[in-house]
Amino acid sequence: MKTQSKILLLLMLAITAFACSETDDKDDQKPVISMSGTEVFPNNCDTLYFGEAFTFRIHFSDNQELGSFSIAMHNNFDHHSHSTEVTECVFGPVKTPVNAFTFIEDYPIPEGTKEYEVNMSVEIPLGEGTIPFDEGDYHFFISLTDKAGWSTQKGLSIKILHR
Amino acid sequence: MRKILVLLSMSVVWCAVSAQNTFVLSGKITDEKNKELPGAAIVVSPGEKGVVSDARGNYRIDGITEGKYQVRVSFIGYRELTDSVQVSSNSTFNCKLKFVPLNLQEVVVTDNYAETRKKEETLNVEVVNDDFLRQNAGGSLMKSLERLPGVSTIDIGSGHSKPVIRGLGFNRVVVVENGVKHEGQQWGADHGLEIDQYSVDNVEVIKGPASLMFGSDAVGGVIDIKQNHLPVDHSINGEVNLVGKTNNNLLGTSVEVAGRKDWFFARLQATVLDYGDYKVPADSVDIYSYRVPLYKNHLRNTAGYERNWHLSFGIVKPRFQSRFFVSNISSKSGFFANAHGLEPRNVDTELHDKSNRDILYPFQQVDHFKVVNKNWWKYGKTSFTADLGFQRNFRQEKSYYTSHGYMPPVFPDTMSFAADLEREFDKYVYTGTLKASLEQNTQTTYTAGISSEYQENRIDGRGFIIPAFQQFTLGGFLVAKHSFSEKSLLQFGLRFDYGTIKTEAYYDWFSSPTENGSSYLQRAQDLDRSFSNVSWSAGYSYSPEHWLLKVNVGKSFRMPIAKELAANGVNYHHFSYEVGNPDLSAEVSYQLDGGVEYHSQKLAVGITPFLNYFPNYIYLNPTSEHDRLYGNGNQVYIYQQSEVFRLGGELHAHYQLLKSLQVGIMGEYVYSEQLSGEKKGFTLPFSPPASAIVNLKYRKEKFLFFQHAYTSVDYRLTAAQNNIVPPEETTDAYQTVNLGMGGEVKIRQQNLKLSLQVQNLFNTRYFNHTSYYRLINLPESGRNFILNVSIPFSGEIK
Repeated sequence: MKTQSKILLLLMLAITAFACSETDDKDDQKPVISMSGTEVFPNNCDTLYFGEAFTFRIHFSDNQELGSFSIAMHNNFDHHSHSTEVTECVFGPVKTPVNAFTFIEDYPIPEGTKEYEVNMSVEIPLGEGTIPFDEGDYHFFISLTDKAGWSTQKGLSIKILHR
Repeated sequence: MRKILVLLSMSVVWCAVSAQNTFVLSGKITDEKNKELPGAAIVVSPGEKGVVSDARGNYRIDGITEGKYQVRVSFIGYRELTDSVQVSSNSTFNCKLKFVPLNLQEVVVTDNYAETRKKEETLNVEVVNDDFLRQNAGGSLMKSLERLPGVSTIDIGSGHSKPVIRGLGFNRVVVVENGVKHEGQQWGADHGLEIDQYSVDNVEVIKGPASLMFGSDAVGGVIDIKQNHLPVDHSINGEVNLVGKTNNNLLGTSVEVAGRKDWFFARLQATVLDYGDYKVPADSVDIYSYRVPLYKNHLRNTAGYERNWHLSFGIVKPRFQSRFFVSNISSKSGFFANAHGLEPRNVDTELHDKSNRDILYPFQQVDHFKVVNKNWWKYGKTSFTADLGFQRNFRQEKSYYTSHGYMPPVFPDTMSFAADLEREFDKYVYTGTLKASLEQNTQTTYTAGISSEYQENRIDGRGFIIPAFQQFTLGGFLVAKHSFSEKSLLQFGLRFDYGTIKTEAYYDWFSSPTENGSSYLQRAQDLDRSFSNVSWSAGYSYSPEHWLLKVNVGKSFRMPIAKELAANGVNYHHFSYEVGNPDLSAEVSYQLDGGVEYHSQKLAVGITPFLNYFPNYIYLNPTSEHDRLYGNGNQVYIYQQSEVFRLGGELHAHYQLLKSLQVGIMGEYVYSEQLSGEKKGFTLPFSPPASAIVNLKYRKEKFLFFQHAYTSVDYRLTAAQNNIVPPEETTDAYQTVNLGMGGEVKIRQQNLKLSLQVQNLFNTRYFNHTSYYRLINLPESGRNFILNVSIPFSGEIK
């Protein structure tokens, strides 16, 4: 019985040791893409136009340090929708792409930045050579990282039309 | 002092007893047809003297004093016989044993076997048999083994899972089946283990570094699967297994027939499983803040099926054995349609919700064919084994064509692969192991061996993650075991491994806009790397009466895999652009393992702690960069190496409260920390949270019309996992309750084994931190009733 109580004591100690945890100052928070505020553009369901530039306005923040971001636009003619927004937009009919527009670009964020206001002009060409791009439903995809490697994505449903 | 006196006086009494007149009890054991039975156990009591019958079925027990004795004769496959004998002179007792149709599987692997294995292995090892698997059957082999302390899984839906031992998984755990390393697509989070759990009769889980015996990859541990059963001579037997589950409406059967005549045996088994979408206790799930409503709690398109067959046959002679195992595991299962992989997608809900049993896009289809030839022969004091294997793993992932990045919006009809073929992996593996064991004397055994493997890997499909590659490994090892006494064993081993890996160049099948025009991007280079490593292990095990003490220290290693060296593509499951690192070195791990076990008649307690250090753990590091051209605007993940420290362990305690009531607790804990590199201070991905199972088991030999009846309650507690690394999410703590009950029923002459489980009794909604679907907030399965009925049968071969 003596051995048994010793063992039980050891067990209790082990359980206590298991229950321990520690705290440190490593970054444990994702960066934030802020979609609120009137200055944000584009918003879900907004319309952009071929052959024109629009101003991409958004606010990024992180608890420690921001990393980089990218934006991508691709067609959503098949309604595959990876929108992250709650608002449902009105889609055009499903169609097969002929000359769909694709835009992908990555951008650095200056080192040591915790808050970053994006305000930049993005040009959407009319077409490729002489062939105009297909108008209709597109996705506007934003990806943001922080220095630690956490990331946040936003997917918006937009329309890109010919004026 | 008093003890010594008692001992002394006892030995005096013993001497006095021995001095009496003694007689010999001898006889012959045969079967009903007078065939001699060698190897039968004969025990007389009181005195509990036992012997084993010789090659002609004869036995002889000396030193029996006058009196009345009970004789118990037992032999595998025959009904145990008990009789009483009056001994007043040298006596003869012959008996005929009656052949019985019993399920052999129980006899071959008993608890005793597990105990013996634990004593002769200086690493910590868990041994389970098919009864355990039946009573704890989950959706896959690994899910059934998850109950073992230190074992967890990475699950993909209800039918697939990957092994994780003490927090290490993927290519850091080796799965061995019949002596040959199982090679599938271990690197993929959504690729399950291709093993039919109904064909398994014995599993050993080695927790700790085992490169010494298993070469590269056995850093975290080994799942060693064996099909040891040999049918009784001149018999034919088998089993029909029926299984049903309510959560995913699974229906399945596995039928086994085996027979043996003299030295030849054969066994055939077929398994068919068919399941529907599984149900979760939720009406909707939130995928990256995008809410997906679920139809009747079903996870859309997670149905699947499995069709497996196994054939084994061979020669069994006293000094030579040769066995062949041929099997094919084939499965098709859907991925959750709203997130392929984790990217939220709108689906045609009308199409998907029409039936919860159909498998639509996206789905995976896997075929694993395996031939193993296992040979053993004995020559004098030396025994040899030669294990040869061939495997082909063919895997396809299919989905609707989706243009990602710069892929053409419409799939061109000029391609060599179909539009729906997202990925294809085709792997051919040739394995060979030769071993020689020399029993120098009763105390010392030497084992030397070489093992080699060659892999040819091809790829196809529209998505690129890893290139085609060839891999070759060759290793040689020497292990010495020395027992100082029956209770104390020292083991030491050394191994050298050499390996090469050659990856093939790969170019995109579509063009991307580069700075000067457009081009077909080259994603993988011709790469030729070679690695070598010396691994070793030393251990000591000491087992005085009620105790088992173990200590082991070892170095294990792992060659970088093709994905780690040469990945260069977007994984749309994670929005990650994964980039290999051609300069990686072979990963090395040092581990110190301990084990203390105490067991008495009523109590068994054990604790198995470990300390582990990696100077260069290979890790897919999410960076802060994005890449336009190769990564299509996705976040860049690069394979890097960092120092890693880990510690943890398992504990278990069982106490026999009453004769038929046992209470138990099992717990496991792992802590990992990266000591260098960009993720310094962070843990490792897929770190299982601390967890424990409190178990109450009630057993009764006879209950109503049940034999060997049992009822068991598992209260499972899992702590929160707040120690995470990008891109993971923290996971809350949860508690679930599982019930199990069963026993054997005899209907006329037919035995039936029944087992019923209720998993997640209270239909608790919880997340599993190590689930593949964790990142998109998919809760785990809801309540699930699992019924398993096995019907053994047997007959004779004239």
